[in-house]
Amino acid sequence: MNAAEELKALLPGSVISTGLQLNKPMAVIKKEDLLKAAGKAKDIGFDHLSVITGIDYKDHFEVIYNFFSYSKKQNLALKVNLDHDKPEVETLTSLWNGADWLERETFDLVGIKFIGHPNLIRILLPDGWNGHPLRKDYDMNTEQFVTIGENGDDVVSPDGTNLLRRK
Amino acid sequence: MWTGDIMTEIPNGYELIVFILKFIGIYEPINNVFESFGLEYLLRIIIVVVEIGVLFVFILLTVMFLTWMERKVVAMVQARYGPMVTGPRGLLQPVMDGVKLIGKEDIIPAKADRWVFTLAPFLIFIPALLVFIPLPFGPSLIISDLNVGLLYIIAISAISPIAILMAGWASNNKYSLMGAIRAVAQDISYTIPLALSAIAIVLLTGSLSTVEIVTAQSGTWFGFIPKWFIFLQPLGFILFLIASIAEMGRIPFDFQESESELVAGFFTEYSGMKFAMFFLAEYAHLFSVSAIVVTLFLGGWSVPFINFLPAGLAVLVPIISLGAFLIKTYAIIFFAMWLRDTVPRMRIDQLLNLGWKIMIPLALLNLLATAILLTAGVFK
Amino acid sequence: MESDELFINMGPVHPSTHGVARFKLRMDGENIKECTPVIGYLHRGTEKIGEMKTYLQFIPYTDRLDYISAFPNNYAFVKAVEELAGIEVPLRAEYIRVLTMELNRIINHIVSIGSLLMDLGAATMIMWGFRERENALQLFEMLCGARMTFNYIKPGGVREDIPDGFMPKLNEFLKDMEKRIDDYEQLINGNEIFHMRMKNIGVINAKDAVNYGWTGPTLRGSGVDYDLRKYEPYSIYPDLDFKVCVRNEGDSYARFIVRMDEMKESLHILRQVVDNMPASKEISSAEYGIAPMTGTPTGVSTYFPRIFTPPAGEVYSRIEAPKGELGFYVVSDGTTKPYRVKIRSPSFCNLTAIPSLVKGLKIGDLIAAFGTIDVVLGDVDR
Repeated sequence: MNAAEELKALLPGSVISTGLQLNKPMAVIKKEDLLKAAGKAKDIGFDHLSVITGIDYKDHFEVIYNFFSYSKKQNLALKVNLDHDKPEVETLTSLWNGADWLERETFDLVGIKFIGHPNLIRILLPDGWNGHPLRKDYDMNTEQFVTIGENGDDVVSPDGTNLLRRK
Repeated sequence: MWTGDIMTEIPNGYELIVFILKFIGIYEPINNVFESFGLEYLLRIIIVVVEIGVLFVFILLTVMFLTWMERKVVAMVQARYGPMVTGPRGLLQPVMDGVKLIGKEDIIPAKADRWVFTLAPFLIFIPALLVFIPLPFGPSLIISDLNVGLLYIIAISAISPIAILMAGWASNNKYSLMGAIRAVAQDISYTIPLALSAIAIVLLTGSLSTVEIVTAQSGTWFGFIPKWFIFLQPLGFILFLIASIAEMGRIPFDFQESESELVAGFFTEYSGMKFAMFFLAEYAHLFSVSAIVVTLFLGGWSVPFINFLPAGLAVLVPIISLGAFLIKTYAIIFFAMWLRDTVPRMRIDQLLNLGWKIMIPLALLNLLATAILLTAGVFK
Repeated sequence: MESDELFINMGPVHPSTHGVARFKLRMDGENIKECTPVIGYLHRGTEKIGEMKTYLQFIPYTDRLDYISAFPNNYAFVKAVEELAGIEVPLRAEYIRVLTMELNRIINHIVSIGSLLMDLGAATMIMWGFRERENALQLFEMLCGARMTFNYIKPGGVREDIPDGFMPKLNEFLKDMEKRIDDYEQLINGNEIFHMRMKNIGVINAKDAVNYGWTGPTLRGSGVDYDLRKYEPYSIYPDLDFKVCVRNEGDSYARFIVRMDEMKESLHILRQVVDNMPASKEISSAEYGIAPMTGTPTGVSTYFPRIFTPPAGEVYSRIEAPKGELGFYVVSDGTTKPYRVKIRSPSFCNLTAIPSLVKGLKIGDLIAAFGTIDVVLGDVDR
C-alpha cells in the first residue's frame, strides 16, 4: 500500500481522503491535525520537506506539503483545506527547520497565517506592502512605491512622494 | 678584486660624481670659482642635491614601471593580455593613471581632521624613499654608507604604523579606524621576525653596514657556488621573505583590501593625488624590500664571475654590477607578484597566529643555531 | 578588551554576495553573534506572471530564474507540463536536452568555484574558468542563438536541431576541458592557505542538512548519498552510467570538492551522450511535429500549438539542477493558462541555514561558507 494509505491506517481520524497527485500518493488532512499528521509522516521516514504551496481557490485556500523519504525513496503529499476568510494553520517549524522560510514566503505572497511561527514577517516583499499578490482578488492596478529609509530598511508608500524623482 | 679597489677609493655616490667631474676635467675650475666667493660648501650641496635627484628620478621611474609590470604579470598568469592600448604594449599606462588621478577632485570629509588627513600620505611616502639611502646599487652607487645601515633601514620601516594610524584616525570613519588598527597589528607583529632574521646576518658579518655585508658575499666556494648568505641561512631567507611580504600587505596577507573588511581599509576616504601617494608608497616599498632581501641574502651587486673579466674592461664593472643587482631585485619582485596571483588570502587571526606563534620561535631558533655554529668556527 | 556589539550591514551592493543580498550582522569584535539575511531585492513576481501567460509564453520567464544555468530551469517547467498533458518526447530530443543540461552543469560549477576563489583572493581561477566558459557559450550560441537566456526546450522536444559544425566543436571542448580541470585541481586543491580557510568552516551534519531542506552538491558534501538523476531518474538518465559524488566531512572544503568531482562526472556523461546520440532527425513529439522556419540553421523548428490546454490536475516535478533540487508545482484548470505555478528553488532553500551556519565565525568565514552554498539571487527571489 502506498504511503498515503499507510498514513490513513495510522491516523484514521485525521485523514479525510487519499488520492493521487498525478503519480504521487496524496492525503487530505483535517486542518487541526496537520502537526500530528506531519509528525507521524516524519516518523515513518519522510524526512525531506520539499515545498509548501499555497493556492487561492476563490472559495477556499489550500496548502500542499510535499515530502520525500531518503531511506525509502518514496513521495508523499499532504493537503489541507482552509476557510477563505480566516486562512490559518499550524506551523511545522518545530519539526523541520527548513519550513521557516517556506512558510514565511507563503504568508507573504498568499496570505496564509501559520500559528506558532517564530518570526512571521514578509520575506520577499518589503515590510510595509499592502495586500498579498498571489490571491486572486489582488488589485493589480494600484501602484505602491518603495524607497530606502534612514537605517537601510525599505519604506513603502502608495504615492510617489518619497521618491527623489517624481513620476 | 675589482670591487674592492673601487670601493676604497670611491666610497659613495658623492665621491663618484666628484670623480667623474675630475675625469672630465671641470671639477677644479668650478671649485675655484666657488672658493673665490668663499662658498665652497655650496658646490658640495649642489652635488648632493644632484645625487639625490638622480635617485629620486630612478625610484619614480621604477615605481611607474612596477605598476605596469604588476598588471602585465597578473595578466600573463591569468591567460590574458593586460594593458595594450596606451602606448606600445601598454607602457604608457602608468602615465595615464597618474594623469587621471591628478585630475580627480580632492575630497576631504567634513568632520575629518584636515592637517592629519593631509599629512598622512606624505608620512607614508617619505619613509619609503628614505630607506634607499644606505642601499648599495653598485660598487660606489650608494648615497651614504652608514655604519648602522641595517639598523637605520629597520627603524625607518617602523615609522609606517604611525602614519597608517594617522590616516585611519583622521578619516572620521569607524571602518577606516578598524582597518588601520588591524594594519598596525599586522605590521608590528611581522617586524619582529624580520629584525631577528636580519640580526642573524649581522652575526655572520660582524657589521651593520650594508656595504660590508655585500663585500662579505663576494667570491665563490669550490669555484662555482657564490658565497651568498642564502646558502648559509636558508631558514633566515624564507622567514625574511615571508615577513617582508606580510609587511607590505600583499596577498596572501592582504586582508586590508579584501572584502572581508567590507570597505577598502584605512585609505577609504582618500581620493585623487593622496590616493596615488599610497599606491606609489606601496610600490616603492616593494622595490626597497626586494633590494634589501637581495643585499642581505643574495649578494647585493656582487657577480661571482667578475674576476674572469679581462683587464681592459674594468670600467664596465660598475655597470655589470648594477645590472646584476637589478636583475636579482626584479627576480624577487616577480616572485612576489607571482605569489599574489596564485594563492588565496589568509584570515586575520590565522595571519597573526603565523606571525607570533610560528615565525618568532623559528627566527629565534635560527639566531641560536647561527650563534652556535659561528662560535664553533664552522663559518670562517 | 571588552567592546560593545557592533552592527554591520553587508549591504545589497557588495562584491562578495553573488547578487543583491543583504546581511544584517551583529558582531562582537570579529565574531558574528547573529546574522539575518534580507532578501527580496530581485523579486519580479514570476509566480504571478505564470498565472497570466500561457504555457508556451511562460518558458522564457523560467530562463531568468537562475540565470547562470538556464537550461535546467526550462526543462523543469517543461517536464511538469509534459507529465500533466502526457506528451511523448522522441529519443533524439531527450539526448539533446541532456547534452545541454550537462554542459550547463559544468559551466555553472566553473562560475561557482571561480567566484568563491575570487572572494578569497585568488583571482586566477575565475579568469581561467571563464576562458572555458566562453567556449561553451559559443557552442550554445551555435545551437540556439543566445548565450544566457536560451528558451530552447519546449514541451514535446527541443526548438531546433543540432547544426552542422556543432559536434566537432563539442568534441574539442570535451578534450580541452579534461586537461583544464586537472589544471584547476593542481592550482588550488592542495594549497595550504586554502585548506586553512575552508576546512572545518561551516560544518553541518547530515541530519541537520536534511532538516533544513538542503539538496544538491551542498547536501552531498555532508554525506547524504542522494542524486535525483540516479534515484528518481527522468529523461535518459537510466541508460547513462555515472557516479554520485559524495563527501562525508560536511565542511566548506567538502562541498568544494564535490563540485570539482561533479564537473568530471558531467564530462563522462557528455561523452556517453555524444557517442550514443540517435541518428534520427525527430526533435519534436509526434503529435506536434515540425514546421518550416526561416533563419534557423536547419530550416525547421518544432511546432507547438498556440492553444494548448492540458487536462485539469496538479503535478509536482523536480529535477537535479546544478544548484540542487529545482521543482515546479503546476496546477492546471483546463484553460490555456496555468492556475498556479509554484517554483521550489534550490538557492532559496539552501539559504535558510546561513544564520545557524555562521554563528561564532568571522566575516571572512561567512564569505567562504556563503560561497560554497552557491546562491544566485535570481533563484532566491524569483
